[in-house]
Amino acid sequence: MQEHILSILIFFPALAAMLGFIVHKDSARAYGITVAAIEFFLSLWLWNLYDPMTSGMQFMEKAPLVAAFGINYLVGIDGISLFIIILSTFFTMIGIASLTETRRVKDLIITLLFLEMTMVGVFAALDAIVFYVFWELSLIPMLYIIGAWGGPLRIYASIKFFLYTFTGSLVMLVGMLFMAYFYYQATGQWSFSILEWYRLILPENFQLWLFAAFFVGFAIKVPMFPFHTWLPYAHGQAPTIGSVILAAILLKMGTYAFVRFSLPLFPDAAVFFMFPIAILAIIMIVYTAMVAYAQEDIKQVVAYSSVSHMGVIILGTFALNVEGISGSVFLMIAHGVVSGALFLLVGVIYDRRHTKLMSEFGGLASVMPRYATIFGIMMMASVGMPLTINFVGEFLSLLGFYKQSHAFTLVAGTAIIVGAIYMLSAYKKMFFGNVTKDENKNLKDVNRTELLALVPLVIITIWLGVYPKPVLEPISNSVESIVQLMHDKAQTKEAQARIPDLANQGAMNSQQETH
Amino acid sequence: MEITLAHYLVLSGVLFAIGLIGVMRRKNLLMLFFATEILLNATNIGFAAISHYYNDLTGQMFAFFIIAIAASEVAVGLGLLIVWYKRTGKIDLDIMTSMRG
Amino acid sequence: MEIYLYIALFAPLVGSLFAALFGATPKTMLTGIVASGLLFLSLVSSAILLNYVMMGHTVHVEMMTWIATGDLYIPYGFVVDQVSVVMMMVVTIVSTVVHVYSIGYMDHDKGFNRFFSYLSAFVFSMMVLVMSDNFAGLFIGWEGVGLCSWLLIGFWYHKESATWAANEAFIMNRIADLAMLIGIFIIYWNIGSLQYDVVFAEIANLPMPIITWIGIFLFIGAMGKSAQFPLHTWLADAMEGPTPVSALIHAATMVTAGVYLVVRANPVYDLIPDVGLFIASLGAFVAIFAASMALVNRDMKRIIAYSTLSQLGYMFVAAGLGAYWVALFHLMAHAFFKALLFLGAGNVMHAMHNELDPFKMGGLRKVMKGTFIMMTLASVALAGIYPFAGFFSKDLILEAAFVENHYIIYAVLLFTAGLTAFYSFRLVALIFHGEERYKLFGIHPHEAYKFMLVAMAPLLILAIIAGSFKLSYFELVTNLLPAVEYHIHHPMTYWMITIGTQLFVILAVLLAYKKYASWSSVPDGTSKLENCFCYKLLSNQYYIPKLYEELFSKPYRELSRIAWKQIDLKIVDATVDGIANLIYQTGEKTHTMQNGNLSSMLRWMVIGLVVLLVLAVAFTVGYNAVTMRAM
Repeated sequence: MQEHILSILIFFPALAAMLGFIVHKDSARAYGITVAAIEFFLSLWLWNLYDPMTSGMQFMEKAPLVAAFGINYLVGIDGISLFIIILSTFFTMIGIASLTETRRVKDLIITLLFLEMTMVGVFAALDAIVFYVFWELSLIPMLYIIGAWGGPLRIYASIKFFLYTFTGSLVMLVGMLFMAYFYYQATGQWSFSILEWYRLILPENFQLWLFAAFFVGFAIKVPMFPFHTWLPYAHGQAPTIGSVILAAILLKMGTYAFVRFSLPLFPDAAVFFMFPIAILAIIMIVYTAMVAYAQEDIKQVVAYSSVSHMGVIILGTFALNVEGISGSVFLMIAHGVVSGALFLLVGVIYDRRHTKLMSEFGGLASVMPRYATIFGIMMMASVGMPLTINFVGEFLSLLGFYKQSHAFTLVAGTAIIVGAIYMLSAYKKMFFGNVTKDENKNLKDVNRTELLALVPLVIITIWLGVYPKPVLEPISNSVESIVQLMHDKAQTKEAQARIPDLANQGAMNSQQETH
Repeated sequence: MEITLAHYLVLSGVLFAIGLIGVMRRKNLLMLFFATEILLNATNIGFAAISHYYNDLTGQMFAFFIIAIAASEVAVGLGLLIVWYKRTGKIDLDIMTSMRG
Repeated sequence: MEIYLYIALFAPLVGSLFAALFGATPKTMLTGIVASGLLFLSLVSSAILLNYVMMGHTVHVEMMTWIATGDLYIPYGFVVDQVSVVMMMVVTIVSTVVHVYSIGYMDHDKGFNRFFSYLSAFVFSMMVLVMSDNFAGLFIGWEGVGLCSWLLIGFWYHKESATWAANEAFIMNRIADLAMLIGIFIIYWNIGSLQYDVVFAEIANLPMPIITWIGIFLFIGAMGKSAQFPLHTWLADAMEGPTPVSALIHAATMVTAGVYLVVRANPVYDLIPDVGLFIASLGAFVAIFAASMALVNRDMKRIIAYSTLSQLGYMFVAAGLGAYWVALFHLMAHAFFKALLFLGAGNVMHAMHNELDPFKMGGLRKVMKGTFIMMTLASVALAGIYPFAGFFSKDLILEAAFVENHYIIYAVLLFTAGLTAFYSFRLVALIFHGEERYKLFGIHPHEAYKFMLVAMAPLLILAIIAGSFKLSYFELVTNLLPAVEYHIHHPMTYWMITIGTQLFVILAVLLAYKKYASWSSVPDGTSKLENCFCYKLLSNQYYIPKLYEELFSKPYRELSRIAWKQIDLKIVDATVDGIANLIYQTGEKTHTMQNGNLSSMLRWMVIGLVVLLVLAVAFTVGYNAVTMRAM
């Protein structure tokens, strides 16, 4: 079973979703929770089996799909994908457990389980076509969730979400096909295996074009400025569960793909585009933070804050050194946990008051103290308080980029200021002051079901902030191999200078130690 | 005067042009069928002539195919036309707009 | 000894978590007692460690790894050496006193349990800050105290002004923290480690500009926490928090963290005397700047806050001039008497039902004898009159400035000393002497609980005798800090200066008494003095908060709105929708082609055929032409 664990992880939820059709609608919830919990424990078992000291791919499985064109069902994980997979299964479980939706619960749970398959599939895929298939498949359940359970503008939002990301993905697909063609030209064999692509060294001008093609697909998914405008609509209209999954997992597909594809495949192009992308990242950080500050709707604040944090992740990724990339991967996990929790929290108040406008609240701290406390912890995590999960990622990302550019890091570092501004003012508007609205006077504090979802998130937030090593170490080991690969492949002078050479550096260090 | 390939091709072209004009101008469905038949036969002449010119039977074979397909097309087409006429009493093209986009 | 280190560090955390358990339940005395008891335990452990360190040892432990990736390795490491043990003593003494005091002060507050949870969490953060053996650990504590400060300033969260002040303090500190973070980045990429011992051993090998940048960025970080100009406005507003908080956080401990940082990083600042001079100049400026604002203010707590600001300026002067041990000494002495002053002010506030305007008090010495004595003595210490603590520490700073030949700084500090004495006794005189103006407002003041006064007593004793520790303190800390002694060589000059300063200060005290001790009316803003330009300038804090509001807050708010409404919705999103609409409109426009008429469709087909034919011919001709030429 161990050698097939990844396939089981991918297809178990899909199978369960299929079986879900015959489950009676009253027991759908229990069924969903059970399946998601089994899946989550399977992913924990995967972590247990995972060897953190190895940097390469583990649990690889291969089955030919279209042998003539080298398309295989090829899956495997390393430290980078492992934790995002666990995050996906975890959030699906939490999401189903805390579901408050009452309309067509069964359909929703089947959709979520299907979505879970696509998420695990994207992060486990090592074949570009398999990756692409899961990548696109993930759009459909999300389209359905927003379109069927969303707010008043749900059709507009869901179609915008779908068409926008789909357009980007098509450009990415063209890039993939070209990449495979170049591989064919160079070796005489077709292959879509990412690991085999890694070995290919492309001329710089090819790299630039392919990088751009992949970039369009990934950037829209992240979403990077100026491709971010689908996100506020999607979040604004999506039901709580949709926002949680979208923010926690789906956005990470874009940044994950940067680490998985763009960096190791096109190291020279990555260096070439480093500063333009850093500028975009900085715009994301500062500009969307300002937009977040201007929002009147608490959910939009969290939505825009997501974009702002994704900017830090992008910046860390393009630091192109171990500190930065490890930080950005860690921040993907961290942001998943924190933004997921924040969306859940927004859902809690929306369930009670059916509004998300901050002006409708005020003084909630005295009415709902537990809610205010959890919100406060998550808010502080979001603004990057040390000893919470976000800080480790943000610190490392910024630290990494400082090596590349001092001035940019200084500007990007304002993330910690502007982040505090919009978060604190939103918190103040909602929780502080006197209760002015009668509707708010008798609001119930978080109940047991909600606590069941929120408390684990709080624990993770603090546990991984205090002791990030169990997660950071495997990530860091895998990132080291990627950075080394990039350095070995780099052709331009600038790329060789900017991407550190870990092998020689290690040798130098040990030399120093022996002296 | 010997009849050369060019003559056949000119005849084919002229017939094709007549058929094309018929297709564009005629409003009667029956006339439309005639026009398409002319079009098809124009190409048949071309095929047969060039086939003869190159001493390659493929072209003539293709012409037979076209004749067969044209026949079946007319059979199905006329069947539909008759049904349409029974329903509406007219075979004017301008009233057949149920496929409007 | 390690066990004492852990007790000293973690006892407050345990207290905080314990109190947090009862956070949502009604007041239980237990939380206050347990939290205070645990802090006392921490104090005892610190004292044992002090004893141990005085014997010439240091304790250094590495608890576990925090962040490790690439070459970066940050452990949870703690060090108890000569400097940190002094800070630990200051922090634990003041916080133990404040905890016990708060049991009385917060007696009637609904958030009693919550308060102790926050307060102990603050002490824990502060202990992390001072005990860490690396810059990242310092940063943990640094942000931690910021968080607790936010929680405590906004403790009465239903008050708009309190929550506003809390956010202001947090955000302003964040600005400085960014600089601190950048400083840490520079250190890491140039040295490869954040451990103090490694960094300080290697720092001298770095090129000069880099050391300068490290010094500048770390100091900007310190400016935020220690509320130095121009990041000073939050401190006065932070007085919205409960008074024990002001005593502990915004007078004795947190705001001195900046000074501690500069003292701790003395090997860096020793290499860059120019930056040091800048620090000293800024310190001197802040000293007089803050003191001037204290002169006219009509809010008891704000006056003391400005005085804190001013004293922090003194400390930075000493630290900037390289007299690190003097800075630390003044930090210690200041912590004692300033905390005492604040706690006294807390008693007065309680008695006066949260009235803060000293002009509405007067004559309180009759009903509040204990408080009166304590505040007076604390003010004497603050004014720096022999033989109180302030004399020893503050005079040393003046001497240091004099010996180092920075006469302008010296003159500024001397003048500020006079101002300090004046405003301190203006406050004492207005509160405790003169007519009982509070009767106009129908208030019946009463003395605070006995145990609160008893709790304050240790601070009183320390404020009086702290000066006598000077020699043993000097021996202790100079193991780690540069042992520069500041003696004015000529005994004649020395005595002249010392006695001159004392006379000047006492004169200021007398002046304050003369002017305010017999005050009889409540000013209503109509007197000539209150309408003169200088008075308005000072009472409006040089219009700096207004300036910040106009210059930063409002434009930022406006810009944010523009970014959202104009740019995000009207440009970025509209472009996206525009592209989608363009495609959609094209379909709308051309759908008439699909009119369902077979004959017109056939016509379109023919047209298409012709176009395709033309294109095919054109491309063939073109292609042939190109290939022909190529051949």
